Amino acid sequence: MAMAEAIARAAALLGAGICMGMGALGPGIGEGFVAGKACEGIARSPENASLITRTMLVGQAVSESTGIYSLVIALLLIFST
Amino acid sequence: MKKGSLKRVFLIFFVIEIVLLIISGGLTKDLEIGFEKSKFVVRHVEKHGDLQEKITEEFQPDEYLLETGERGKIHGSERIYDFFAKVFGKAHAISAFMLLRMLLIVNFIIILIAVLTKKLLFDRPSKPQVLFEMMYSFFEEFVQDTLGKNFIHFTPYIFTIFLFIWVCNMIGLVPIPGFMEPTRNLNVPMGIGIICILVVHATSIKVKGIWGHFKNYLNPIENPLFLLDIVGEVSKVVSISFRLFGNVLGGAIIMLVVSSLVKFIMFPVGLNLFFGIFVGTIQAFVFTMLALTYIGVEIGE
Repeated sequence: MAMAEAIARAAALLGAGICMGMGALGPGIGEGFVAGKACEGIARSPENASLITRTMLVGQAVSESTGIYSLVIALLLIFST
Repeated sequence: MKKGSLKRVFLIFFVIEIVLLIISGGLTKDLEIGFEKSKFVVRHVEKHGDLQEKITEEFQPDEYLLETGERGKIHGSERIYDFFAKVFGKAHAISAFMLLRMLLIVNFIIILIAVLTKKLLFDRPSKPQVLFEMMYSFFEEFVQDTLGKNFIHFTPYIFTIFLFIWVCNMIGLVPIPGFMEPTRNLNVPMGIGIICILVVHATSIKVKGIWGHFKNYLNPIENPLFLLDIVGEVSKVVSISFRLFGNVLGGAIIMLVVSSLVKFIMFPVGLNLFFGIFVGTIQAFVFTMLALTYIGVEIGE
């Protein structure tokens, strides 16, 4: 393998790692925040628990998508260079 | 249902899973079933243990085969493969072939559901009828809450999208080599996403009229940020389809990595439970919910 190719490959792998690490930060914090708020809501009104859980899951799945985008980009970096 | 019979069903599934595991590639061998020169063959194919190569081969057959130039594994008829190779070229034929076969299986399952719920009885409903009526009424309530009573005719469309994506995600649970979720290929979620956005715009034109709909995008005086709106419509398709694609692909890769850590001896049941069933159902539901919400935003004003 030529030197330039090796450098590009190493940079792509490093970039994929950094991308996944940084991209997992935001959704992690956000989903934890949503789960905490849902806990508060269930504690306040236990009769709405199923509705709150459903809404929480859907909201988490939507806010998870930024992490998923970073996963897709990391995969592109790994497999396409 | 009695307690003993449930246990027996689980035992039978366990035995079937182990048998499938043994014949389907636990021992770094792959079973190939298909037709070769109009003769039915079953044979073992040696697999290499390199994870990187395996991931590349499983998830991007086009790129891998373009580089190496070798012919991939085909579980099926050679004649159809030759037809695809003529139309798309040799490397793209394999992924197109796999995708089409999986979509045919999904369609077969949906047709089976339709046949099961064909005889609708009012007095003594059958078990599948009760199950699917429950699901349908759940979605009907959901559509009514989001769009209002005048747009309740969207329920079959929404329910079809949900059922299709759900069955697509559940296909990955079948431990047979060559089985993949069709949603793992980007073309399928992208196609469904484009259909969803087209339905949104058609509904908006139907409700608000042609000028009432397009004045949002074509009138720079009223709406100075109309270019951003046009970009936003494209990004809706990208976001809704990449979410589904990335979730399914990420789950599949994690399962593959864990199975390679245990040298393909064990089947990761817990991971299949989470990434296959739970995430698959949630993502199918989120996809339909977003498709519904986009319609609701357009016609709500």
